[in-house]
Amino acid sequence: MSLIELKNVSYSYNDSTKAVDDVSFSVRKGDYVTIIGHNGSGKSTLAKLIAGLLPVKEGSITVDSLEVNEENIPQIRKRLGIVFQNPDNQFIGSTVRDDIAFGLENKQVPSDEMEAIVEEYAKKVGLTEYLNYEPQNLSGGQKQRVAIAGILAMSPDIIIFDEATSMLDPKGKKEIKQLMYDLAGGDDITIISITHDIEEVLQSDDCVVLSKGKLFMHDVPEKVFANAEKLRQIDLDVPFIENVRETFGKYKIKLKANDLKGMVEELCRSGSKR
Amino acid sequence: MPIRFKALSYIYNKDMPYAHKALDSVDLDIREGIITAIIGETGSGKSTLVEHLNALLLPSEGSLEVLDYNIVAGQKQKFLKPLRKDVGLVFQFSEYQLFEETVIKDVAFGPMNFGLSQQDALKQAAAALKLVKIDESLFNVSPLELSGGQKRRVAIAGIIACDPRIIVLDEPTAGLDPKGAREIIDLFVSLNRQLSKTIIIVSHDNEMVYNYCDETVVLSHGKVVYHGPTMELFDDKKKLKEFDMLEPQIVSFRNELIEKGFKLSKDARTLKVIAREIAGQVKR
Amino acid sequence: MNNLVFGKYIPIDSFMHRLDPRAKLIGLFLMIAAVFVPKSWWVFLVIGLMLALALLMAKIGIKMIVQSFKPMVMMMIFLMVINALTVKTGDVLFTVGPVQVYSDAVFNTLFVIVRLLLMISITTLLTATTNPLDLTLGIEWILKPLEVIHFPTHEVAMMVSIALRFIPTIIEETIRIMNAQKSRGVDFENGRLAEKISAILSLIVPLFSVAFERAYELADAMEARGYVPGAKRSRYHVLKFRFVDYLFILICVGALSFSILSRFYL
Repeated sequence: MSLIELKNVSYSYNDSTKAVDDVSFSVRKGDYVTIIGHNGSGKSTLAKLIAGLLPVKEGSITVDSLEVNEENIPQIRKRLGIVFQNPDNQFIGSTVRDDIAFGLENKQVPSDEMEAIVEEYAKKVGLTEYLNYEPQNLSGGQKQRVAIAGILAMSPDIIIFDEATSMLDPKGKKEIKQLMYDLAGGDDITIISITHDIEEVLQSDDCVVLSKGKLFMHDVPEKVFANAEKLRQIDLDVPFIENVRETFGKYKIKLKANDLKGMVEELCRSGSKR
Repeated sequence: MPIRFKALSYIYNKDMPYAHKALDSVDLDIREGIITAIIGETGSGKSTLVEHLNALLLPSEGSLEVLDYNIVAGQKQKFLKPLRKDVGLVFQFSEYQLFEETVIKDVAFGPMNFGLSQQDALKQAAAALKLVKIDESLFNVSPLELSGGQKRRVAIAGIIACDPRIIVLDEPTAGLDPKGAREIIDLFVSLNRQLSKTIIIVSHDNEMVYNYCDETVVLSHGKVVYHGPTMELFDDKKKLKEFDMLEPQIVSFRNELIEKGFKLSKDARTLKVIAREIAGQVKR
Repeated sequence: MNNLVFGKYIPIDSFMHRLDPRAKLIGLFLMIAAVFVPKSWWVFLVIGLMLALALLMAKIGIKMIVQSFKPMVMMMIFLMVINALTVKTGDVLFTVGPVQVYSDAVFNTLFVIVRLLLMISITTLLTATTNPLDLTLGIEWILKPLEVIHFPTHEVAMMVSIALRFIPTIIEETIRIMNAQKSRGVDFENGRLAEKISAILSLIVPLFSVAFERAYELADAMEARGYVPGAKRSRYHVLKFRFVDYLFILICVGALSFSILSRFYL
């Protein structure tokens, strides 16, 4: 069943070029969908349209059959959270505690119930010991975890990650990706992740490729990456394994395996001359 | 040696209760004319180290020789300007330093500060912009109108235009998309190969370090724990584990092949060369 | 930036730290009034002793208080000079060049200086023991009556707390941009006027453009998490008056009464 539906969505900031150009696709409930494309391909604009941070002017977006428009946005916001790229610019509270509570305050959760919720979600992202920390004493990865806790505390069933790992160091990237995979593992949360991380895309159920605001491809990741040549045309990376397949192909060696180990074994089987 | 650290330590908030030793008696020689990577976890002292190279930070203890300049702890520096001209430092998210109303003016800002006439500065700026592949049609637009990758390249041009002998880049590809990152990498490789600039790159991107950097320095808790050829570091599984570093995929692939009995030469470091060498060893 | 003591919060735990920020704010106003009213040194002595006790309970060293006086030294000297030149009553104490300094000039000045020092110490005590966020909450509470005339107390408090939250971030950013421009040959310390202006521009313009970007992104993040300006929200931090808070206010009321009465009886 599709939870989010985009129909012929277009958007332009000024009158000149279209940031999003006639995009249609749907997201099934509980899926983990990645959106890839080079910078300026319209990924973030699309995320903002779905989250109701930009008004849908052309086409339509529905979340659970509810049209995303001014009237419905408060209702949609209650079940949709978005994690942005810059860890600093989404840390609103003065401490980890305050930041997790920020959304709860907006939701008018009674004061005496908040503490328990704050602690529960701090624990969920592994920040129990950091509850009283101020943002300047946290790493980028920790700040992103705070943002995620703040969103989870509002019990959404859709979370959008807008390049949530791109400003982090390898350790932070790993932490946040693991957290995302854990969330995606359950059936109750639908995840849309805008990313440049090929390894992450391989973990997702579905992949949407955007180029110059247009929908370029939409398929399961394996099928998307099978079109290495097409992806390169729009300046996107392909997984290392596809590069291996292609390079060996040029030497007339056909590799079929889907991981490196398998490929090495194939090479062994094709019989060494030794 | 164009760069030589001698028992250099740097302490933040010296004489305060929360003093912090960011560099701990670093001895390090960086060779001229090559690309050197400086890697290590966040907080290992990488940025502190490179900020010494153009005397933004002065050593708390020890000394540092850069080109013909000698920087000793506790001594006042008189040659800041010429040093900063000769050692160009490109900061992380360098696009945030752009401030002039046009692209070319911004790039000419550095050269003019270092004493060039406006005419000469603009000439150098144009040359630098050409090098970073910014089209002439963009010279007179506001830097704010450019894309993220373009802004970053303009910021780097701002340093190149000063004609430094050493160029230091702190996380030059962070936050860019794959295309933007590739453009930056191509840029510093050509600066090194064609203009024989000494390049120092601070990075978290092991794949990039493996593919393009001749030597690598690994920092941990303010100390140099490895300095040597990049290939030797990445071939050494024990070291990678010790430094908690991810093995680049090409290295995993190469190691796997060698383990299974395939013969690969020392130079087989790219997929192309590996495939060519393997092709000779299997039936097709 | 680290040398600025006046207004700085000292994050430790103490009796004074635990008091309700509203009680401390009310106390501050009462005590400042108490310092303003009297004409007698005795009152200063009593208030001084109370202050010393409070500092002790706040675990704040005398060193910090003394440091907080530093910015005022110039003003005090200025005051001294003006008074020496203008006040011509009492006995002549000594002569400096052509100027005869009268006893009233000295005593009046000392009186004003002590008054100032007490005020600064009281304010420092408040800011040192109250976390800025709590202070904001306290101020919001005190401004509450202004909502009758549609003053947006909550929005103002939100603005102040966000501003406080971003101060360290912006300091960090300032250092980074300064370093980037220094690497392009900018000299922030020396140079002719034209060079100075261009140096400052090279810092200010990027700072503003980053600040705007941050503001936009922050606004998106707040909106996405359900924030609507002016809408009703519940509170995570609930301020609660405890017995000691009332007691504290009572003591401050006592000090003010003593100081008012002193004008009639001492």
